[in-house]
Amino acid sequence: MLSSFKKSRFIVISLVELLLFLSLWQLLSMTDWFPTYVSSPAVVLGIISEFFMTGEVFPHIGISLYRSIVGFLLVVLFGTGLGILAGFFQPIGRFFDPVVSFFNPIPKIALLPVFLVWFGVTDMTRILIIFTSAFFPCFIATLDGVRGINKLYLWSAENMGASKFKMLYRVVLPAALPKIFDGWRVALALTFVMMFSSEMIGSSTGKGLGFMILNADAYGRTDIVLAAVIVIAALGFLFDRLLIGLRGRVLWWQNR
Amino acid sequence: MSCGSVMTRVVPVNKVEPKESAIKISNLRKVFERKGEEIEAIKGIDLDIKEGEFVSVVGPSGCGKSTFLHIVGGFIERTSGVVSVQGEEVGKPAPDRGMMFQESTLFPWRKVYDNVAWGLEAQKFPKADIKERVEYFLKLVGLWEFKDNLPSELSGGMKQRVSLARVLAFDPKVLLMDEPFGALDSQTRETMQVELQRIWSESKKSVIFVTHDIEEAVYLSDYVVVLTKRPSVVKEILKIELPRPREVSIRKSYDFIDYRNHIWDLLHEEENVKSIGGQSNAE
Ligand SMILES: Nc1ncnc2c1ncn2[C@@H]1O[C@H](COP(=O)(O)OP(=O)(O)O)[C@@H](O)[C@H]1O
Ligand SMILES: [Mg+2]
Repeated sequence: MLSSFKKSRFIVISLVELLLFLSLWQLLSMTDWFPTYVSSPAVVLGIISEFFMTGEVFPHIGISLYRSIVGFLLVVLFGTGLGILAGFFQPIGRFFDPVVSFFNPIPKIALLPVFLVWFGVTDMTRILIIFTSAFFPCFIATLDGVRGINKLYLWSAENMGASKFKMLYRVVLPAALPKIFDGWRVALALTFVMMFSSEMIGSSTGKGLGFMILNADAYGRTDIVLAAVIVIAALGFLFDRLLIGLRGRVLWWQNR
Repeated sequence: MSCGSVMTRVVPVNKVEPKESAIKISNLRKVFERKGEEIEAIKGIDLDIKEGEFVSVVGPSGCGKSTFLHIVGGFIERTSGVVSVQGEEVGKPAPDRGMMFQESTLFPWRKVYDNVAWGLEAQKFPKADIKERVEYFLKLVGLWEFKDNLPSELSGGMKQRVSLARVLAFDPKVLLMDEPFGALDSQTRETMQVELQRIWSESKKSVIFVTHDIEEAVYLSDYVVVLTKRPSVVKEILKIELPRPREVSIRKSYDFIDYRNHIWDLLHEEENVKSIGGQSNAE
């Protein structure tokens, strides 16, 4: 568990960094180095607070989070599940090795036109883009984690009469969990990146933070674009911290 | 078990012969293959260990002692030969052959208590039985008060004691121990040896005990098997006819020293043998 000292230290550092960032930004907005003007943080923060006061941002946040979270949970389910199986059962691993080498380097956004033809401008398309992008980091981290397990742990478990299934969830899973969490963290960040990208393709419901940005950009409102970007960043930050908190809880034995 | 001892002194042994075979090994051979290269670790081992016997295996490092135990445990396959435990040929690892590895294999994500309970849970022992056994064996190795600690919070010696409790808890017919006390300081090591002798004499399990400590082998064993360097064969089997139970001070007796010196000679003979074809004995 994080000690309360570490926790408060983290908060203080975050706040100092935030203040530094805002002041730099403020300074930047007061110069005229850029061809078009940079909205000052005060203006952007004003827009953000307006977002929340009027409540107009909530449906956008809701739908964006829905897409991200469904995508992320699918990644956790399939990326981790298949990663464990591929790491533990060698033939499955040998099957996946070339598949990973082939598909992993593909920019998944390149598949967007294909998904659009198959599923149209739907959440299905967006979630698929999120899923295909975030799947590989999770899968690969899990696979590496399982392959790197000290084989004596597995031998001991076998020696103590464990079934294959018991070994999977009582040895392989806990032993690989630190690596798996690393994969989840990368996947979570990618989830937010791809949520934004996938919402740039117009929106069937006309909702989502990506859509807000797209819309604002069409009218040349960089202040609204920046405000929406900051909302996305704040959500990303929040979920990253949640994941790290969960990690501390689940891997309690690492930092006792 | 056949006996190649050169000892002529007759010492009474409190054992009744003949006994059933617990572990029978014949013509065991193991060849590793690494990068297309063949490494013959074990050339030929024959052993017949009776019920309740304590047998130590010593030999130069890298001669295949761990490999030998791993084969008896079923963790790796043998190239040829037969290994049977209580008449049944050995296949996959199973709880009838409890193994203590050379390094700690306690699960770092489980507390001491839960580590000892692990095998019992895996084998679906009744809940009350698990509690009773874990408590009994942790008390036996003197670590009951550390039941809520993580393995990472224990010293090397304490970890090995927990490992011993863990393997004893599921009551294997045969104990396979790979240099279990190798990493301990001499004081702790001696305590563990005394404990092990007591536990063994109460449980009457058959034990194969690998060690590089000659005195440890003599102190604990009914027989000491001396292996040659790799590729290993049995160089000699000594029957240790010291009365039991053995006091710590038995190490000072002439009989004990005779045994120790004889094994020392055998091992040094091995070390002085020039390796054929310039092969090194990398561990
Ligand atoms: N998995 C393996 N692949 C190739 N060679 C191995 C493997 N395991 C052990 N060996 C070799 O077999 C020999 C015996 O090893 P080991 O049984 O660990 O020796 P000991 O326990 O007696 O010190 C050594 O030369 C070692 O390098
Ligand atoms: Mg060894």
